[in-house]
Amino acid sequence: MSYVIVRAARLSLEEFAVLSGLHPDLIRRLVALGLIEGHRDAAGALWFSRSELAAVARMQRLRAGFALNYAAIGLVTDLLDRIAVLEAALRAAQRRGR
Amino acid sequence: MADGDDFYQILGVPRDASQEDIQRAYRKLARTYHPDVNHDPGAEDRFKEASEAYDVLSDPQTRRRYDAFGRDFRQVPEDVDPETWRRARAGPRAGAGAGAGRGGPGGFSFSEDDIDLDDLLGGIFGGRFGGARRGRGPVGPIPGADQEAEIELTVEEAYRGGRRSVTLSSDGTRRSFDVTIPAGVTDGQRIRLAGQGGRGSDGARTGDLYLIVRIAPHPRYRLDGRDLYVELRLAPWEAALGTSAALDTPGGEVKVKVPAGTSSGRRIRLAGRGLPNPRGKAGDLYAEARIMVPARLSRAERRLFEQLAAESDFDPRKQR
Repeated sequence: MSYVIVRAARLSLEEFAVLSGLHPDLIRRLVALGLIEGHRDAAGALWFSRSELAAVARMQRLRAGFALNYAAIGLVTDLLDRIAVLEAALRAAQRRGR
Repeated sequence: MADGDDFYQILGVPRDASQEDIQRAYRKLARTYHPDVNHDPGAEDRFKEASEAYDVLSDPQTRRRYDAFGRDFRQVPEDVDPETWRRARAGPRAGAGAGAGRGGPGGFSFSEDDIDLDDLLGGIFGGRFGGARRGRGPVGPIPGADQEAEIELTVEEAYRGGRRSVTLSSDGTRRSFDVTIPAGVTDGQRIRLAGQGGRGSDGARTGDLYLIVRIAPHPRYRLDGRDLYVELRLAPWEAALGTSAALDTPGGEVKVKVPAGTSSGRRIRLAGRGLPNPRGKAGDLYAEARIMVPARLSRAERRLFEQLAAESDFDPRKQR
């Protein structure tokens, strides 16, 4: 019997479901809607990177806080990400202007 | 949590506001303070307060009980008559509606310590939003959001790094952190404090707090990334003949070799004397020459300058 000691770089659908607290079917739906990034291997199994957990958590909070449907959440997260990029650029510009 | 505020004040609506007004006020606050929209560390508490207030006032039945019994209405048995309750609490604060229960003569006695709102609400996300009223199943644990705050450092602090205590205050609550500033942080860089961000629900992971570094303007130093610019003041003869000048830098005094024939604005580069870089090459220091003349000349100085003016055919305005 051997044990993997290193933390897996990617998560299976089941692991992802446990860690995010969501049903695997819902996760499949989120992938189909393009809200989270999942990779399919040759056998057709879905794999996720660990960073997607934070993305899913944010969607949960937004959904809970604003009663948004998942299509709207996609728009909101895209806009929030764009705002974050713009704010970072603005900060960099202000910094150079000083 | 600001215990003194009543739910109407939190939402900014009058006590006779319509259900529609209450919803509108809450929606506006939610859009402003939702922890994923507003990364200010204080935003999350405002959002939770507003959610808690809305949770109670949006339901006409709990709103009636809140109006009658104040913030501890959940502690009051269902069949208590509001009038009896009011009389029992009669006193200087009678009719205030909100506020923690004071021990009244009628035998209702609660102290604020008895009430844990988090218990009542089951954590704001898990409890409120999982509520059956929304017609949705209970949500599982949701990790907390990341937060951002600014931290202002002097050029010297950015150069040296080291430990520093940071206090964030928002809405009356203060949190202090001992932060290790890495030597050579640059303006706009983010320092991550793992697990110091927004709270997760139902035991889920706490978010991270990011401190965004702002370097305060300095009277002598100017920073561009890790490159450091310092003014180097020179006498006309030092600039013309060349010299070796002492210059104060954040890393201590350095000797700058000024070549002969240096005009104002010339930059003398001291490689690697800028801000250190934990992951690579340190920045450079640029000593910017600036020629100064005495405001008042002595008799001898005047004579010598006049002699120089007569002798020299140097014309700084001649086009080359």
